[in-house]
Amino acid sequence: MSELALRRPLINRRYTLELRQHMAWYWQALILGASLVLGLLVSGAILVAAGVPAGELLNEFVLYTLFDAQSLKSVLFQASPLIMVGLAGCLAFRARFWNLGLEGQMIFGAIGATAITLWDIGSPSLRLPLMILTAMACGLLWAVAPVLLRLKLRVNEIVSTLMLNYIAVNFLLHLMYGPWKDPKDAFPYSPKYESFELLPDLPGGLSLSIPIAIGLAVLVLWFVSISRAGLYLRFVDKSPDVARSVGVPVARTILMAVLFSGALAGLAGLMVAAGQEGRLTHSFYVGYGFSGILIAFLARNNPIAATCAALLIATLFVAGRSLQVFYQIPFAMVQLIQAVLVICVASSDFFIRHRIRRVQGGE
Amino acid sequence: MTLITSWIGNTPEFAVPFALAALGLIITEKSGVLALGAEGLMLVGAVAGIGAYLTFGQTAVALVMAMLAAGVVSLLFALMVLVMRINQVISGLVLVFFCQGLTTLTGTLMGWTNQPVPGLPAIALWPLSELPYVGRFFVQNLVVYLVPVIFLIAVWALNRTTPGLRLRAVGENPQAADAAGIPVLGYRLAAIVIGSALIGLAGAFISVLSTKLWISNMTAGRGWIAVALVIFARWSPWKALAGALLFGCIEALIPQLAASGIKLSQYFVFMAPYAITLGVMIWVAAAKRENRSQPGALGTPFIREERT
Repeated sequence: MSELALRRPLINRRYTLELRQHMAWYWQALILGASLVLGLLVSGAILVAAGVPAGELLNEFVLYTLFDAQSLKSVLFQASPLIMVGLAGCLAFRARFWNLGLEGQMIFGAIGATAITLWDIGSPSLRLPLMILTAMACGLLWAVAPVLLRLKLRVNEIVSTLMLNYIAVNFLLHLMYGPWKDPKDAFPYSPKYESFELLPDLPGGLSLSIPIAIGLAVLVLWFVSISRAGLYLRFVDKSPDVARSVGVPVARTILMAVLFSGALAGLAGLMVAAGQEGRLTHSFYVGYGFSGILIAFLARNNPIAATCAALLIATLFVAGRSLQVFYQIPFAMVQLIQAVLVICVASSDFFIRHRIRRVQGGE
Repeated sequence: MTLITSWIGNTPEFAVPFALAALGLIITEKSGVLALGAEGLMLVGAVAGIGAYLTFGQTAVALVMAMLAAGVVSLLFALMVLVMRINQVISGLVLVFFCQGLTTLTGTLMGWTNQPVPGLPAIALWPLSELPYVGRFFVQNLVVYLVPVIFLIAVWALNRTTPGLRLRAVGENPQAADAAGIPVLGYRLAAIVIGSALIGLAGAFISVLSTKLWISNMTAGRGWIAVALVIFARWSPWKALAGALLFGCIEALIPQLAASGIKLSQYFVFMAPYAITLGVMIWVAAAKRENRSQPGALGTPFIREERT
């Protein structure tokens, strides 16, 4: 027995891991909170190492970003496309489909909407609804190929959606440096949208994109938890084989969830183009695709949790932009911090699902 | 004619990163760990190589440091998948995002962006280098010639040595391997670190020897193409090498097309590698051969506590 104990790796020598059946919710919340705090501490350390004075961190991030009406507004504004991509991630992942093509679907959504503006399709009053529909349709269409390939030929969707992202990015660059470039502008941007092509502000100064995002979060919640398709989706998520044998239309369910996901990503593209930038730019999509994936993961594919996670990530985006301005820290910092947070939160799951127990008396 | 000559001559330089990255992925995946982090680890290798060259001024040191850096960063991935048992797809993706952020930040803050480095001199393999048309294929830097050697060693080690056999056993059936007394997590850790070091070398090859400078996100999806390459090659190193040559050919064609003055937007040309990757994936899938060569336990964490 002692021989066996000696041969075990250090970590298993005196402790053993046990699967935990159940953990009280407050312990779970505590562990999750602790992991988030740890992630934020690590991020803070990275920021200090990158040259942000430690004393300014609290000011910059917490006070300036959350307790200033103007920047709180910009956090909400920033959150709406992030909520969209987060919901898009939730839907696809619930169907066990790794839709990493959110970025490509977003790009095509924005390209579709911009085509409507450039070609002056529809009367001014119909223009914005038409742009929204086109954006959703284009995002959906860009998701058709990978999902059909996966269902018909079992082509790995991780690679196919990523390849389609690179294709979409190059197509966007082609448009921005080529036919759609605004001749009046030195940058690779499309001409500015007309005022009736922009997402309007509500009375009070909040952008219309915020109620749209919240409304869609509720719609997705209804879809996944109440509708028949959502029930099917839960079957597919738990076990596609069992789902098939009890008569769930597995392929149709996956197809529907992924296409819905693509449409939401397309809408996110429109929200950035018509909400924030007011035109199509060559880099409007940067950071959204993987944020959507991480938001869905952080939220365990729950639409309401995704909305909250999107708010957190939006805060990061806004703070990241001010860091960029004040300390010349590249926006990539936001990406790094998101990855650190996700690693910490994902690791917390380990402590929720396992118990580390000391082995009595050296086995 | 010069177009074709230089196309053939440039192919190895573009093929090497795919080949090394695919080999690194194969080694990792043979142990049953799904490795999607290649894109990120290549970036780590690329930035570390340039950084080490700018610091120490030695290309050999730069390449070794790149491998070390990728190996060290892969410990984070190992922590996620082996210890924390986080979903391997998510872990791989997060690793890529982490590395993209980390390398952009490091490169910018250290001022390594756009700093040219000299690379390595080309060595002509006489008399092959005198052949018509294909002669330039045999005028390459030392690392290119080392690639077939690395492949030979890797294939020999995987198929003909006891650790190689154990590594594959761990990837096929970790429970059985564990019962036979093989330290599953130890082998997986070794496979992750060795594979990642090769992927890091692939990245450093791009930055230090091929492009000869660092730009953020310069690998531009080559890591993902390598992931696809491993799938087409069905986890066979030699097929992966052949696939890497094919993709090297395609990439080497891009600057040639631009130089030939074809009336096509360059961005459509840039799409080619991704579109072709997708096309090959569809073709391989449509050929519908039963895929028996995938390691049996690929993507599943090894959990021992159920065993008493």
